[in-house]
Amino acid sequence: MSIVLDVRDVWKAYGDLQVLKGVTFDVGETEVKVVFGPSGSGKSTLLRCINMLDPPDKGEVFLRGQSLMAKDANLNMLRARIGMVFQQFNLFSHLKALDNVTIGPMKVLGVEKEEAIERAHIAIDQVHMTEWIEHYPAQLSGGQQQRIGIARALAMDPDVILFDEPTSALDPELIGEVLQVMLDIAKAGTTMIVVTHEMGFARAVASEMYFMDKGVIVEKGTPKHFFTNPEHERVRQFLLRLEVLYGGHDQE
Amino acid sequence: MPSLIAFILAAGLPATLLLTAAGLGLGFIIGLGLALIRVYAEEDIAVLAQAYENVFRGIPVLVLMLLFLVSTGWPALFSAGLALGLRSGAYQSQIVRGAILSVSDTQVIAAYSLGMNRMQTARHIVLPQAFRLALPGWSNEYAVVTKDTAWAGAIGVLDMVKAVDYLIFENPLIFLPAILAVTIIYFFLTYPITRYAGEQMSKRLRSLGLGGNY
Amino acid sequence: MTDFGDMHGFIPLQGGLWSYLDELGQSFLITLELYIVGLVIGFALGLTFAIMRQFGGRFLSKIAVGYIEIIRGTPLITQVLIIYAIPVFINAAGIANLQLDWYLYYIDSQGRIAITLNWSILASMLGLGINSAAYQAEYMRGAFASITTGQLQAATSIGMTRMQSIRHVVLPQGLRRAIPAWSNEAAYLPKYTVVAIWVGVMEFLNMAKTVVAQTFLSVEVYLIVAFCFFALITFVSRLLDYVHKKTKIPGV
Repeated sequence: MSIVLDVRDVWKAYGDLQVLKGVTFDVGETEVKVVFGPSGSGKSTLLRCINMLDPPDKGEVFLRGQSLMAKDANLNMLRARIGMVFQQFNLFSHLKALDNVTIGPMKVLGVEKEEAIERAHIAIDQVHMTEWIEHYPAQLSGGQQQRIGIARALAMDPDVILFDEPTSALDPELIGEVLQVMLDIAKAGTTMIVVTHEMGFARAVASEMYFMDKGVIVEKGTPKHFFTNPEHERVRQFLLRLEVLYGGHDQE
Repeated sequence: MPSLIAFILAAGLPATLLLTAAGLGLGFIIGLGLALIRVYAEEDIAVLAQAYENVFRGIPVLVLMLLFLVSTGWPALFSAGLALGLRSGAYQSQIVRGAILSVSDTQVIAAYSLGMNRMQTARHIVLPQAFRLALPGWSNEYAVVTKDTAWAGAIGVLDMVKAVDYLIFENPLIFLPAILAVTIIYFFLTYPITRYAGEQMSKRLRSLGLGGNY
Repeated sequence: MTDFGDMHGFIPLQGGLWSYLDELGQSFLITLELYIVGLVIGFALGLTFAIMRQFGGRFLSKIAVGYIEIIRGTPLITQVLIIYAIPVFINAAGIANLQLDWYLYYIDSQGRIAITLNWSILASMLGLGINSAAYQAEYMRGAFASITTGQLQAATSIGMTRMQSIRHVVLPQGLRRAIPAWSNEAAYLPKYTVVAIWVGVMEFLNMAKTVVAQTFLSVEVYLIVAFCFFALITFVSRLLDYVHKKTKIPGV
């Protein structure tokens, strides 16, 4: 299995605050990595370092062997191959749903309009939003907007998709539809890194899980490992708290 | 050069300052009145205030000055001051009204629930806050009126621009530096006020949490 | 300044106001000319400075701020006079010998020369444009700033360059959001065209002054002038309101 993303010893500080302290891991083709942990542990920062929205201070990131830090790296093209789904959806408010999905392929990848529309339709079908393609973001619910956000990432045909707490900003009853879409694409073989506390999702499709706390990956393991016998006490406590808070909702 | 600047200041600055004061002063009275009418009075009367604003914002202030010059018998200085004042009133009305409306609704509700009536609430709760909120707008209006005093030169008032105007024919070489000097003087009349009273005050107000309906 | 020294070639007629309708009409066209060209220059320059201010580096941004503060802190009259005086100064100082008495004209219905462009008119247009640009830049910048960084991050994350993000995400929304404030500026700009009197342009107010001198009907004439400006401004204002309503996008 080929390695899609290789993250080596990434450090990042904001002013005096050291947010990431040497994070290392890799992601193979079709793998789904779930990153979880308390807030402030650096999970979101890690994602933004990976696609260089916020370049790391130290360390390296390789996409299929190509370094994103190299001086001559075509950052825009590399970013186009790394999809991102945001907590706040961040759809382009002035574009209809369909256009939100076609603009990336057209303007960044140089795809012809008809082909871009076809791609968009496929992606939008995958997220079950076909009837809403002519709607503006303001006319869609949070869950619908997020699904279009996922379609937007899919349409770029990326090597990997990063999910930054994709359901955290959603009302409870809307979380399910987004998680279902994520499950579907995970099972279809999409390479994903997902920052989330939706343990049900992790249990169902994660190839590996990383617990992050205070800027380091404290423990790595399969879902089975984490849910039957985690190593560190901190992890145990954290999972317990999630269980208490979310309880039966986690059952997939 | 320094003597030229001294001349500009001595000959033209008094008129500029006088007209600014007159314009702002008259504008304040008119503006406050109009704002109170628009916020608190009956619809039929409030519309008149709106009409006043529309009219005095839609006519060049120089035309107003000329109108007053020819219709009253008054000296140019008075006509100019009157025109500036009436115009400023239309804009200050917006400033005060905006400030009143941006005092948090919750403040008013709290006042009513204590038993205050409309007038008391306005007097003790709304207006004091509104005046502070209006400061950025007022500092901007100050700058506008100061600059607008220059129009008065066209009806014969000796302001700073008029003081050097003749130079374009008599001594073209000196004219450019002279007008540049006048421009710089205007800048020092306006910028310090708008920068500090305007921006700093906005920042302070925001940090104090004053204004804005959340 | 008070010299009506524009070669107009019209023969002053004694008698009622109506005999001056032609001249007043022509001068009103000059006013419109000053207004429209000033507005267009103001828009182009203003947009440039707004982008510089919001998206330029520290250097460009500071230049933009400096420009805006200086223009807004000084009277339009002095700005026009400075522009007008620059070539005059150059001639007087012997640096060069610039032609200043050129003019463009057409022959009107009564066989008279009607000037459409000369240095005075051009200087006024430039002055109005440069002045208006500073105000337009501020309104546009405010609108640009209100576009969430989230959308910009989304644009970056699909690989758009800075320029692409500005072109496809910021401008479409920013310009729409700026319409109300911009409409304000556009509607009231005609008022300021009277500054051209200072450099001897025979625009509407200046012509009116001539008519007053000929007919002694001062109050009537100035009331008509006031009314005409008011009508023009109200018309433009309503027109722009209509445009704003027609281009509404929900949620932008």
